[in-house]
Amino acid sequence: MAAQTRTRFSPAGLRMAALMLFIALYTAYSAGPFVWVASMSLRTTSEIAANPYALPWPLHFDKFASAWLDSNYDTYFFNSVVIVLSAVALLTVIGGMAAHCFARYTFRFKGLLYFLIFSTIIFPPQVTVIGLFQIMVEYGLYNNRLGLVLVYVSIQLPVTIYILEAFFARIPKDLFEAARMDGYSEWAIFWKISLPVALPAISTTVILNTILLWNEFLYAVVLITEDDKRTLPLGVLRFLGDQLEDVGMIATGLMIAIVPVVLIYVFFSERLIQGMTAGAVK
Amino acid sequence: MAIVKLDQLGKTYGKVVAVSDVNMTIGDGEFMVLLGPSGCGKSTTLRMIAGLENITEGELSIDGQRMNAVPAKNRDIAMVFQSYALYPHMSVRDNLGFGLKRRQTDKAVVRKRVDEVAASIGLTEYLDRKPHALSGGQRQRVALGRAIVRDPKVFLFDEPLSNLDAALRVSTRAELVRLHRELKATMIYVTHDQVEAMTMGDRVCIMNNGKVAQIGSPMEVYLNPASTFVASFLGNPPMNLVPATTGEGVVESGSGRIAQNGFQPGRKLVLGLRPEDLCPTDKVEDAVVSGRVTSLESLGAETLVHIDTGGTKPVILRGGRNIPAQLDQTLHLTCDPAMARYFDAETGVAIIPGEQQ
Repeated sequence: MAAQTRTRFSPAGLRMAALMLFIALYTAYSAGPFVWVASMSLRTTSEIAANPYALPWPLHFDKFASAWLDSNYDTYFFNSVVIVLSAVALLTVIGGMAAHCFARYTFRFKGLLYFLIFSTIIFPPQVTVIGLFQIMVEYGLYNNRLGLVLVYVSIQLPVTIYILEAFFARIPKDLFEAARMDGYSEWAIFWKISLPVALPAISTTVILNTILLWNEFLYAVVLITEDDKRTLPLGVLRFLGDQLEDVGMIATGLMIAIVPVVLIYVFFSERLIQGMTAGAVK
Repeated sequence: MAIVKLDQLGKTYGKVVAVSDVNMTIGDGEFMVLLGPSGCGKSTTLRMIAGLENITEGELSIDGQRMNAVPAKNRDIAMVFQSYALYPHMSVRDNLGFGLKRRQTDKAVVRKRVDEVAASIGLTEYLDRKPHALSGGQRQRVALGRAIVRDPKVFLFDEPLSNLDAALRVSTRAELVRLHRELKATMIYVTHDQVEAMTMGDRVCIMNNGKVAQIGSPMEVYLNPASTFVASFLGNPPMNLVPATTGEGVVESGSGRIAQNGFQPGRKLVLGLRPEDLCPTDKVEDAVVSGRVTSLESLGAETLVHIDTGGTKPVILRGGRNIPAQLDQTLHLTCDPAMARYFDAETGVAIIPGEQQ
C-alpha cells in the first residue's frame, strides 16, 4: 500500500502537478479580467447587478448592434483601421529599409545614427508629448489623421528597426551577392530577397505594431480632439462617459475595441513566436 | 565566352594588403584554377573579378573592356558560391530562373531555358521543391544550374565542392569537367584542394600572401615548382626540401650527394626531391640522402617511409606496397638527377643548373 502511494506521488509527478497548478493560476490571473468583460458584454446591466460572475445566458448579441449604432463606433473604427494600417505599412517599409541598411552596409556615422534613432526611446511619451503637440499645431497636423500616422511611425520606428535589423543581420551575405550577380540592383534585392526572406520578422513587427497602435491612447487624446477623427480608444472613453450607469453596455463597447486585436493575436501568434525565435536562414 | 585579363590587380583594406600585383590572362574557354592556402587572396581575387569587391589597384578587363568600375550586375558573370546561396523562399524553378528573368522578360523563354538546364543536370523532378527540401548535392546542382541557365561570359566558382562529402565531391568534379567541355566557357575556379586543381584546371595559379606564386599547367607546376612554397604546397606528401651545398659536379645533401653540373662550388641551396622519385639503393655512393627509417605508413596501394636524415624534417619516400623497408633500418635513397630540383637557400626561388643566378 505504502509502495503504491509512493508510486502515485513520485517527485516528477508532483513537479508536474505544481507546474500545472501554476499555469492554471497564471492563466486565470491573466485571462480572467478579459473573460469577465467578455461575459458582461453579452449580459444586461440588471443581469450583472443580480449576479456579477454568472455565465451569460441568454446571450444578448443585440447589445453590440446598439453600441455600434448609438455611439459613433463606425467612425472611430474606420479611423483606427485607416490610421493603424497606414502607420504599420509605413513602419514596415521604412523600418525594413533602415534595418536592411544597418544590417548590410558599412557607412560613415552608422553607429551615431543608430544611437540617435535608439536614444528617442529613453524619453517617456509624457515628456515629449507637449513638444510634439506644439510641432503638430505649427505644421497644421493637429487634429489631422496624417499627423497621428506620422507620430505613430516615429514612436514605433526604433523598435521596428531593432527587431528587423537583428533578423536581417542573420541572412547570409552570399544571398545578396548572388542576387547582385544575377543582375539585380540594391533596390530590387531589398524587395525580392530581404523582405521575403525576413517574412517571419516582418510578421512579428506588423503584429506588434498593430496591437500597440490599435490600443494607443496618450498621443491620440492629445493630438485629436474632433469627434469624427477620433480613434477607438478615444471612442471607448467617450462611450464610458455616455454610459456611466450602464456597466453592461460599457463592457460591450470595450469588446468591440478589443476583438480585432485579439483576433489578430489568435490567428498570428504562431507566426509572432516564430519570428521572435527564428534561427538562421538556411 | 571571354578573355579575362588581370593587370597588376591589387586590393587593400585600409593598410592591410590582401592582394597585390596579380597578373594573368585567362584565355577564351580556359579553366583556370586559383589555388592556395587560406588567406592567400584567391577568393578576394575572384570577388574582384565578380565585382563584389572594389579593385584598389591595377586593371581588370574582359574581352578588352575595362571592368574596374562596371557593377557586378552588368559584367555578365555567373558565380557559384561555397554556401550555394540559394534563395530560401523560392522554388528550384524560381531559383534557376531568377537571374534570367532580370534579362529576359518573355516568361515562356525563361521557362523553356530553365527546363532545359534542369534536365541537363538532373533536376527536373525537383523543380517545385524549396531549397530546404533538397540534399547537399542537389542544392549544389541548383547553384550550378543557376549559373549555367544565364549562359554568361565567365563562370566563377568559389570553393563549390567544399561542403560536399568525399564521394559526391569526386562525382561533381567529373560533372564540372564535363560541363566545361560542353559549354566551352571561360571558368575561374577557387579552391584550396590541390586534387581539384590538378584534375580540373587547364592551368593552375598558385597564390601565397596575396601574390601569384606560379602559373602553369598542373603538371608544369607540379614538376617544376617556381619556389619552395609551391614545392611544399603541391603534392601529398609534398616535395622533400633538403638543405644542400654545391661541390665539384655534385650537390651534397649532408647525408648523400647527387651528380649535378652547372653550379659554382660552395653555394648553399635547397634540394627538392619528390617522394615518388626516390628509390632505395644498396650502394651508399649512389645515395642522395641516407637515414634511419622512423615510421612506415601503409596506404594500401603504396607505402610512405619516413627517414630521419639528420635534418629538421624527415625525408619521405613513396614506395610500392611491398617496399623492403623496416623500422630503424638505415636506408639509402637514390634519385634520377633529372628529377632533382634546386632552390636558392635564401629566397626559395627555383634555380636551373647552368643558368647564372
